[in-house]
Amino acid sequence: MKKQILICCGTGCRANGSMNVVEAFRSEIEKNSADADVIPQIKTTGCNGFCENGPIVKIMPDNLVYYKVKPKDVPEILEKSVLEDQEIPRLMYKDNEGNRVRSQEENPFYAHQQKLALRHIGKIDPENIEDYLELGGYEALKKALQMTPDEVITEVEASGLRGRGGAGFPAGRKWRTAASYDNFPKYVACNGDEGDPGAFMDRSILEGDPHAVIEGLAIAAIAIGAEEGFFYIRDEYDLAVKHVKKALEDAEARGIIGESVMGSSKRLHLSVVRGGGAFVCGESTALMASIEGRVGEPRAKYIRSVQKGLWDQPTVLNNVETLANIPLIIRDGGKKFAEIGTETSTGTKVFALVGKVKRTGLVEVPMGTSLRHLIFDIGGGIIGDRPFKAVQTGGPSGGCIPESMLDLKVDFDSLAKYGAMMGSGGMIVMDDRSCMVEVARYYTNFLCEESCGKCTPCREGLRRMLEILTDICEGRGREGDIELLERIGHAVQDASLCSLGKSAPNPILTTIKYFRDEYEAHIREKRCPAGVCKNLTRFEIDEAKCIGCDMCAKGCPAGAISGEKKMPHRIDPSKCISCGSCREACRFDAVKAVGRGQEA
Amino acid sequence: MIEITINGKKCTCEKGEFLLDVARRNGFYIPTLCHHPAISGQACCRVCLVEVVEKGRSKIVVSCVYPVERPCEVYTDSERVKEDRAVVLMLLKERAPESDVIDALCKAYGAADGSRFAAIDGEKCIMCGLCAGACAKLGTGAISTVLRGTAKKISTPYDEPSKDCVGCLSCAYICPTKAITFKDDGQTREVWGRTFEIVHCRECGAPVGTREEIALAARRAGEEPEELCPTCRKKKMTDIMAHTYGIV
Repeated sequence: MKKQILICCGTGCRANGSMNVVEAFRSEIEKNSADADVIPQIKTTGCNGFCENGPIVKIMPDNLVYYKVKPKDVPEILEKSVLEDQEIPRLMYKDNEGNRVRSQEENPFYAHQQKLALRHIGKIDPENIEDYLELGGYEALKKALQMTPDEVITEVEASGLRGRGGAGFPAGRKWRTAASYDNFPKYVACNGDEGDPGAFMDRSILEGDPHAVIEGLAIAAIAIGAEEGFFYIRDEYDLAVKHVKKALEDAEARGIIGESVMGSSKRLHLSVVRGGGAFVCGESTALMASIEGRVGEPRAKYIRSVQKGLWDQPTVLNNVETLANIPLIIRDGGKKFAEIGTETSTGTKVFALVGKVKRTGLVEVPMGTSLRHLIFDIGGGIIGDRPFKAVQTGGPSGGCIPESMLDLKVDFDSLAKYGAMMGSGGMIVMDDRSCMVEVARYYTNFLCEESCGKCTPCREGLRRMLEILTDICEGRGREGDIELLERIGHAVQDASLCSLGKSAPNPILTTIKYFRDEYEAHIREKRCPAGVCKNLTRFEIDEAKCIGCDMCAKGCPAGAISGEKKMPHRIDPSKCISCGSCREACRFDAVKAVGRGQEA
Repeated sequence: MIEITINGKKCTCEKGEFLLDVARRNGFYIPTLCHHPAISGQACCRVCLVEVVEKGRSKIVVSCVYPVERPCEVYTDSERVKEDRAVVLMLLKERAPESDVIDALCKAYGAADGSRFAAIDGEKCIMCGLCAGACAKLGTGAISTVLRGTAKKISTPYDEPSKDCVGCLSCAYICPTKAITFKDDGQTREVWGRTFEIVHCRECGAPVGTREEIALAARRAGEEPEELCPTCRKKKMTDIMAHTYGIV
């Protein structure tokens, strides 16, 4: 049987050199093609989500997966696993018990996942429309064309699908409202301006399965009666732009979209708009202003964009992941989709699991999966088995959730109840060496730079909250600061113009709520319990634990550590810059962070 | 017609009317800074915020752009309004410590204590953007908002003197906090890094405006630029009409 070699060529694997691996396979196969009976087929695929272990190579139909493949491994893979049926254990994934596993299904990172939005990624070549068609692509669009718009919308409503971009607004209801207006032209748009640091599910879908999103957007257009649509894609996403453009050309060439949608009387023109490079352009009205060529600033949304959106016409804007689910819903029915997940949050959600977990990457699980399951079963727990401290969900304006709430089920409503949000699905795990005040300061600083700066509460409120947080981290915190942060935070939530401002105080308010003692230690004792804030931290070596391995001294950028080999080392406080690299380097837990006390 | 209550008083309005207009018409004064009838939809200073209760749910909205769509209860001075407005005013005061207008608002409505913060030295601008809006509408779009976040400011492209500026001072006149500085001694006018020559009325010698703004106004009106002050212009028209009717 002819074998297929699937090579992951998502952005992560490309950065790890997967294109060199592709080249190596090509030239090696060519070299051997003369005496081979069957020439194996090479396929470049989208992102498999396990980027830290890339480049990932899958041999099909054997379902044998290799990780961290280098060009030098290629001849061996061809010889043993493609021409023969042997495994190469050193390239296989090692599970928790240290066993080498063959398939993705046996890999604990993938075993608990349920892939809907990511269903094709890693299996198909995103630049080849045939691959998509072979897996039933555009069948849902064909079906939708045979249904009435009302039936299509009813199916989406029945699915319970809610917007994956963050707000969780029911997609069916949005379509229903847009369809109810007799004001033409109408528009559809896809929000691919993913701006949350660390989140890359939208990029991954656009890069790895662009036709699924096009199909979703085309179905939306038919349902509401739009003839024009836009893909607004973040400017930095070169590969996504390239793949979507290619997919649009191919779909048009095949008569799937264009002057006639699959031979029907309906027209649909879709085009790509590159983003302006601002976080705020992910906000719906700022995004629309940007498409129209104006400055990317939000407007007050008392009149919603389904009524007055692009050029003041009815517009449906859906997120990439939302649209990727649409073909499934039309193909299999909304009811089937609604069976997955929880009652009010149906389906699955893709999370970008990053931070101090053993296994990081893109994870798709049913809604209602607990944080504990995500972090410990899929993520494999905390690096170095250190204590878990918090998980930050929902991107820069999400909230921090403490250990006591790890059994919380992740869906739209339960996270919001605790001051956090699911947002677009960013999930940053932190261990006991993360300072929660510093975390709040970091995100507030990000938002200060990324706020559009239009309204007073967001622009000035963030500026002042950052001022307080910086003071606290640098040892200038005062009594009353926590209360003032809360006071400004609540007013910013209440009075800001758009949801960026309304959610911007979340990192501050949740860290105060769940880690108030850390704030108090900074302010009253001038001590950073996590040993992160430099002005408040000194490092000491516990002589009883130090074995004199010299790892800390090698890593010290200031040359502050001395000591003979195999003898306890010492840190010279006059040279130490409190960067903490000694603590990171030490494998014997001998480096301790201590407060500076009154010295600060 | 929709019936709403404002601070308990029954008021009627058209569907879609802005809450600020309804309130002011009914004798409830709501403070504003960035609201201007000629430049709509700014909604950024947030001083005009009020509390709206609809179907039992309370929310804070800015009255200047909030369209009344259904019956609701409005409170312009509830505890929540007072608290949010106090913080907004404090933020404005720390932003623009030199502004008398902000100072007066803080005194009238009560601002939170901002002594914890380092106020921005010498600043009067509250970044409402009315100037840029006026320039786009009346002038030539010579100034706009630049950058974003806390670094956002009003400026000419690349902070260089703009060749598009006509020195009309629409920006300075519309500014609610008088933050745009200019000099005008009757002979020359300086604004946004440029110096303009003032044209004087060829009849009476009164200052008319900059040569550039007169040219812009004439171009928009489809006329030839004329160096006449409004009074002499009127006089000239009267003379023409009198002549036409044979009075003189």
